[in-house]
Amino acid sequence: MTDAANTDRWIRWLNTLQLVIAGALIMAPTVWMVLSSFKPSFEVTAYPPTLMFSPTLENYVELTKTTPFLSYALNSLVVTVGSTALGLVFGIPAAFAVSWTRISWPAILTLAARMAPGTLFLLPWYVMFRQIGMIGSYTALILSHAVITLPIVIWVLLPSFDAIPRSVFEAAQVDGCSVTRILWRIAMPLVASGIAVSAILAFVFSWNYFLFALVLSNGDTKTLIAAAFNFIGEGSTQWGALMAAATLIALPPLVLAALVQRWLVSGLTLGAVKG
Amino acid sequence: MASISIRNLVKRYGNLTVIPDLNLEIADHEFVVFVGPSGCGKSTLLRIIAGLEPISSGEIYIGDKRVNGVQAAHRDIAMVFQDYALYPHMKVYDNMSFALELRGVSRAEIDARVKRAAALLHIEPYLDRKPKELSGGQRQRVAMGRAIVRNPKAFLFDEPLSNLDAKLRGQVRAEIKALSQELKTTMVFVTHDQIEAMTMADRIVVLQSGTIQQYDTPETVYERPANQFVAGFIGSPAMNFFPVEWRQGQAILSLGGIVMPLEGESAGRLRVAGNAVLGIRPEHFVVTTEAADSVAINVKLVEPLGSDTLIHFDLAGVSAIARVDPSLRPKVGDRIGLRPQPGKTHLFDAANGQVLR
Repeated sequence: MTDAANTDRWIRWLNTLQLVIAGALIMAPTVWMVLSSFKPSFEVTAYPPTLMFSPTLENYVELTKTTPFLSYALNSLVVTVGSTALGLVFGIPAAFAVSWTRISWPAILTLAARMAPGTLFLLPWYVMFRQIGMIGSYTALILSHAVITLPIVIWVLLPSFDAIPRSVFEAAQVDGCSVTRILWRIAMPLVASGIAVSAILAFVFSWNYFLFALVLSNGDTKTLIAAAFNFIGEGSTQWGALMAAATLIALPPLVLAALVQRWLVSGLTLGAVKG
Repeated sequence: MASISIRNLVKRYGNLTVIPDLNLEIADHEFVVFVGPSGCGKSTLLRIIAGLEPISSGEIYIGDKRVNGVQAAHRDIAMVFQDYALYPHMKVYDNMSFALELRGVSRAEIDARVKRAAALLHIEPYLDRKPKELSGGQRQRVAMGRAIVRNPKAFLFDEPLSNLDAKLRGQVRAEIKALSQELKTTMVFVTHDQIEAMTMADRIVVLQSGTIQQYDTPETVYERPANQFVAGFIGSPAMNFFPVEWRQGQAILSLGGIVMPLEGESAGRLRVAGNAVLGIRPEHFVVTTEAADSVAINVKLVEPLGSDTLIHFDLAGVSAIARVDPSLRPKVGDRIGLRPQPGKTHLFDAANGQVLR
């Protein structure tokens, strides 16, 4: 075997090792969470942790008995779908406008809003929504979650719109299209996979967002992730039920990501390569 | 179908003026070619006519209608882009029918017009294909088909042949010319290729730095260039230029003091001007053996092209080319005599480059 072939083999082996280590580090908490959700309560916090145990559904049974789990799931769905839709409705034209005009400061502003800690928005929003009597409403939660979804949609779509040759839009102008029609008939079909990716990412981030729901929801509109917080008490924490809730909460984004992973990767790199 | 009139057009990008003050009249049914080097403003001018670039001042008329501020969508012109700009997600048929659909044309009429254009351009077999499934030449035809179906007031072409290979370029060039004669519509064509300009145009606009250098028929632009820039730009290989003076009753090349045999009007004009730039096209040299009536040169390089032979030489410090009969095959280093054909020389003002008439 030549030196070059030996080197290639070593590089491949090291790459695989890196991936295994990274995968193990990333997946370990998730695996621990899922396994713990099937353990009897007393075994969840046992030290050293047990890998061999008799699986039980008692945590899931307790979860559904002690909490209106389905109602929380429905709340999560309403808020997530609503904020994702809101993000798409405003984010798609916004990204197109930024790409069309080459004026980038609005997009940077949304990115800054996304980077800022959520607590920055929390107090003003709480005061504002309380004054107009919207605390605990779906509207307040959907509007607040749009801060999460809107920048994602804009920043995922921006390179996709930028990648479309300018002359295609100009041809549409000459053909008789208004700017709105260019967006609807030309640009959106060309960035369809980017729109799908931005929708999935917005859904996942909104679904998992904890802070706004904790403060701005009430008993009727509490989302799953905020409700799971109830299992952490001052005196004791119901680790088994908490793990069961966390597993169920993680399920939709995981399933969604697994179903569209090929699309997700191609969509995320859509604007990166031209020609 | 309509005439195009541009009056006192100024185009600025911030502090940069790309078109200082331009006036142009394009007649109805005329095929006009804008030609010039990169950055001369020819594409900008076309885009201004299309409505894709706003103007800084001036007036633009398409037909009788003043179109300043009228959006591209409402100017009723069609444009073929350099990269074709087909809609990648639409089939060829939909690409061609899109503009008609937007104008509310009936389905039956759309179908008839698309099929008629497809037949004219020989693209019927591709109507159900997407642009990515077509070759460059086929895409180019679809782009033209998209323009034709609309029966617009004018067609604008922005260097549509530059992405094609040499053979296809020649073929499509002839097709566009034939199309223009068949459609009898006003056409404006932008190119940096002077062969395209010469072969296709009814009239050529030669542009430099946003200014029209000459606007005339291809024959006139070639035979009677308005200035040294036009003379050097139109023609391939380019015209040879030699600084020349009138001394002791004869034309003398300024560098080297070589006597250049000049006759007739050229000699008279040089006598009046005192000094000038002498322009001789490569094809207007005659090889001669009579030493007294010619300039002796040393052959530096020979390029046999089949149809003719190019002889490269240095004369009075200027690199020059002569295009001669293909049967002549001098060798590098040979000494031969050349003289300009009578009546085929051009004299330009040494200071401003304008032709001396």
